[in-house]
Amino acid sequence: MSVSKKIVLLGHFGVGKSSLLRRFVENTFSENYTVTIGVHIMKKEIMAEGNNITLIIWDVEGTDDFTKYRPSYLLGASSFIYVFDASRAVTYSDLKYNLGHLKEKYSNVPVHVIGNKVDLVDQDQLIKDLEQQEIEHSYLSSAKTGENVERLFQNVAAQLLKNA
Amino acid sequence: MLSAIRKEFLENRHQLLVVSEDYKVLSSDNTIFNINDGSDITDFHPFFFTVTTLFDEEEASRHFFCVQIDHLGRTRYVDIRTKKDVLEKKIYLFLEDMTEHYKNVHQIKQVRNESIIQFNIVQELNNQLEVQRGFKNKFLANVSHEIRTPLNSIQGFINVLKMSNISKEQLDLVNIIEDSSETLVTILDDLLDISKIEAGRLEIKNRRFDFKSFINVLSKTYALRAEEKRLEFTCELGENIPRFLVGDRLRINQVLINLLENALRYTHKGSIRMNISTDSRNLRRLPITFEIIDTGIGIAPENMDKIFESFTQLEKRGLFGGSGLGLSIVKQLTDLMDSDLEVKSIEGEGSSFMFTITLGVSHDQRSKTQEQVAPLVSLPAEKTKGKKRILYGEDIEVNQLLMTKFFAEHGGYSLDIAKNGEWVIEYLERYPYDLLLLDLTMPVMDGFDAATAIRNHSNKKIQKIPIIALSARTTEEEKMEAKEVGINAYLTKPINQALMFETIERLLNRYKKKN
Repeated sequence: MSVSKKIVLLGHFGVGKSSLLRRFVENTFSENYTVTIGVHIMKKEIMAEGNNITLIIWDVEGTDDFTKYRPSYLLGASSFIYVFDASRAVTYSDLKYNLGHLKEKYSNVPVHVIGNKVDLVDQDQLIKDLEQQEIEHSYLSSAKTGENVERLFQNVAAQLLKNA
Repeated sequence: MLSAIRKEFLENRHQLLVVSEDYKVLSSDNTIFNINDGSDITDFHPFFFTVTTLFDEEEASRHFFCVQIDHLGRTRYVDIRTKKDVLEKKIYLFLEDMTEHYKNVHQIKQVRNESIIQFNIVQELNNQLEVQRGFKNKFLANVSHEIRTPLNSIQGFINVLKMSNISKEQLDLVNIIEDSSETLVTILDDLLDISKIEAGRLEIKNRRFDFKSFINVLSKTYALRAEEKRLEFTCELGENIPRFLVGDRLRINQVLINLLENALRYTHKGSIRMNISTDSRNLRRLPITFEIIDTGIGIAPENMDKIFESFTQLEKRGLFGGSGLGLSIVKQLTDLMDSDLEVKSIEGEGSSFMFTITLGVSHDQRSKTQEQVAPLVSLPAEKTKGKKRILYGEDIEVNQLLMTKFFAEHGGYSLDIAKNGEWVIEYLERYPYDLLLLDLTMPVMDGFDAATAIRNHSNKKIQKIPIIALSARTTEEEKMEAKEVGINAYLTKPINQALMFETIERLLNRYKKKN
């Protein structure tokens, strides 16, 4: 069985959404920050739970206000990956509010919360900070080192197949 | 003609694609991308997987802005509009190449986002710095408390020792110990002041004070100190400066003492001069210039910038003692009082430190000394009625012993000691006391909890007992917290014996008047 699923990467600008995508699809990383405007889409076919699945990943331009996302970008998504920058608290300070918006508008789409750039922070301290702010996260990742990137997309795919 | 121009403008920027329900390209005018008829549109670019969902949608048309499509090594930004024809089972895709427009937008957003991210990073670093600074200040406050407690005992027992029958030689040795412990207290105070200034918690408190008398006392003290070192000391106080001024006497005193101590430390022959003057004749606010001039070892030009840093003692200067905090405090305090500290120095010849502080002129230039001095109240010796009974809550034995000595020497009160807050409550419920001395840091139940329990006690007499906190903690927060839980007075360890008995007497009198 081969299926295609649309995944949308969301979050503030500069949190590393494009870097995560490039690390996952092309296994490359660049220290240079290049702004994504509009949407950049890549695909990757992987095996999950013994099945082929084609992930169509939409890397959407970052914003701190999720109400401003164009509905056409989020249309038909099977999963959202909400990325924040673990080294900049401002990128997760409004996480609960944005999650609330997604839940309200796209109640059937699962959201995975990812703290990226963990290579730049003390992970124990970060986990304490997140716990203090009652922020639940699925993974802490680093597009730079590749930490948890493959695992993240594999698990998202596995969950999509389970829900299919 | 117009239609030809129109065609020329639009032709290369727009592309129309028709796709069947099984995603095959039925037709394409290939003006932007070359897409073969009959090919699967989803193979061309992953964006076109979108068409797989369009047939199931209620909406007949969609608009996707700024889709980045990398093709044949070139990146284009296209706006894509879709229209569904349900009857024909076709989807029309209208692509508009907006690359030039979006490239400009990209440049603007790149600069904007980069600057915001940099700003965020600086903010994060500042926050981390604040946390570290807070940690340092807390550490200093805690260390200060830990050191003050044993220091309290040392100073207390030095007093006891001095009053016992010791020889002249022993007294000299005890005096040396006393000097050293006083130096230690000064260093602790300096450390705390630095941490308070850095935390922005040190406020300048302007009050009316007798400026002339303050300078007289200071100059007399330093004249004696200078004489001990065979130095000449002179103080010139401008005659046009009024006697009563409004300013922060405590902090001006701290600045002058640090500068004078510095001058004394580094001057080995010659003189120290303190000049205080004003050129202004303003009747309300006077800029007063203070200048301390010495003939000491001076400062090399390359070291002039370093002398105001905390813990800086220039190599040669370091030989003569001091914590290295004095000038840093002077600089920070003069800054707080909106003054610039100017230093002039010639190595081997001497230094001069000068600053100008604007002080208010008090409306009332009459002395209030007589009104202010409270009549000396003799300690109660009403043997017929018995002594006033004081309870002391303290867990540290050496402090208990010291307090016992103080009270034994005074003789005017009887003292009981409870080893923690719970015992304090227990004793208060069992015996009648006139006043409670309370250490704030105790095991089982600390002083704050004990005071809260007392102020909420069902017995009115216990509820109203005067409480004096005795604590090694010196922060304003602690004092405020003590006030909030109903503590009437706050004395800092090392305990000044005379001040403590004065406070006890004052509170007992107030309590007596109220009842």
